[in-house]
Amino acid sequence: MNPGMARDSSLPSFTLYLHKHHTREMWWRSRGAPASVSGHFPLTIGTKRAILLLYVFLTQSIMDFDFTDKVALVTGGSRGIGRAISLALAERGAQVIVNYAGNEEAAQKTVSDIQTAGGDARAIRADVADTADVENMFGEIRTDPGRLDILVNNAGVLRDKLLMFMSEDDWDRVMDVNVKGLYTCCKSAARLMIGQKYGKIINMTSPSAFIGRAGQTNYAASKAGVVGFTRSLARELARFHIYVNAVCPGMIQTDMLQQLPENVAEEMLEGIAMKRFGTPEEVSGAVLFLASNKSDYITGQVITVDGGLT
Amino acid sequence: MEDKNKLISELKTLIIESLQLEDVSPDEIGPDDPLFGNGLGLDSIDALELVVALEKAYGIVIPDEDVGKEAFASLSALADFVAKERKATGGE
Repeated sequence: MNPGMARDSSLPSFTLYLHKHHTREMWWRSRGAPASVSGHFPLTIGTKRAILLLYVFLTQSIMDFDFTDKVALVTGGSRGIGRAISLALAERGAQVIVNYAGNEEAAQKTVSDIQTAGGDARAIRADVADTADVENMFGEIRTDPGRLDILVNNAGVLRDKLLMFMSEDDWDRVMDVNVKGLYTCCKSAARLMIGQKYGKIINMTSPSAFIGRAGQTNYAASKAGVVGFTRSLARELARFHIYVNAVCPGMIQTDMLQQLPENVAEEMLEGIAMKRFGTPEEVSGAVLFLASNKSDYITGQVITVDGGLT
Repeated sequence: MEDKNKLISELKTLIIESLQLEDVSPDEIGPDDPLFGNGLGLDSIDALELVVALEKAYGIVIPDEDVGKEAFASLSALADFVAKERKATGGE
């Protein structure tokens, strides 16, 4: 970005000056070791107290994924995998913003299910393929609560067609929601997260991106795009402690699976080592891990949850 | 000019704090030194941090790299940019 340099048209206009050694070691200083538990247990301890201590110890281990005071946005969070993710995060203390594009009823149901269980959630409508919609959504988030810790780019559509019969709309819509949606959401999220010096971004890809599937040139291309995007953004934002990873769910019991013709779904079972489809909850497990502080040395990675399909 | 010097001083602090340049003192940054490429050892990704910090401090949005290049050419250029944009947006 030195204007004194002559413009070389072969270089990208925003030439990256990446210095081999960072003079600022502090950038990479760790978050600090967790406070060590010091002190001595009492020498004598009654049975009741022992049981209480054991109970506390066990529940602390189980509650490893604690998202209290964290704010999460789940795009396409009203149904299927998105809904499972929203519920799982809210269950563990996160304030969840459930984004939906069209199905308001489903979104409100997910929100009220979370609230009934004692969690904190609200719904915001935005088509992730629409820049203005997404900017408005993030404008609302900036106003309240003014931060975003976890972004799950789960919104995705399927329009399976053999290429020769695939309309331009079938192509465009899939690319717009599945890939451009990442551009719109991550662009806005990055501004917030850079200021926070913290963020967890989790994108959703598919085994189709890696092994292909007839009828899914659009979908597979879009999901392969998600992988390239994930790996690149991870490198851009790593120094701000913003982690960008992807989860790769295989055949999961959702509305999207219902869309596939029955014989196709049956054939696919043959290719799955576990010989069953997965559940949205099983996918949310991987998302929880990537959203938690247990994955603070993981970025630019893909975790596949497909029962041994690939 | 006094206003500009004050702004330059504010910006030096902003840059040093937001980019955590602990080994750099404010006097080391000359008003006409390029901010990126040489000198401070900053790269393009550091620019992102600065963009966000400027937005927080002055309410100024830097929408793309062309605007960024102009604004970040030097401390003096940045001060001019901030002074101009502040008036335009009516920011503080």
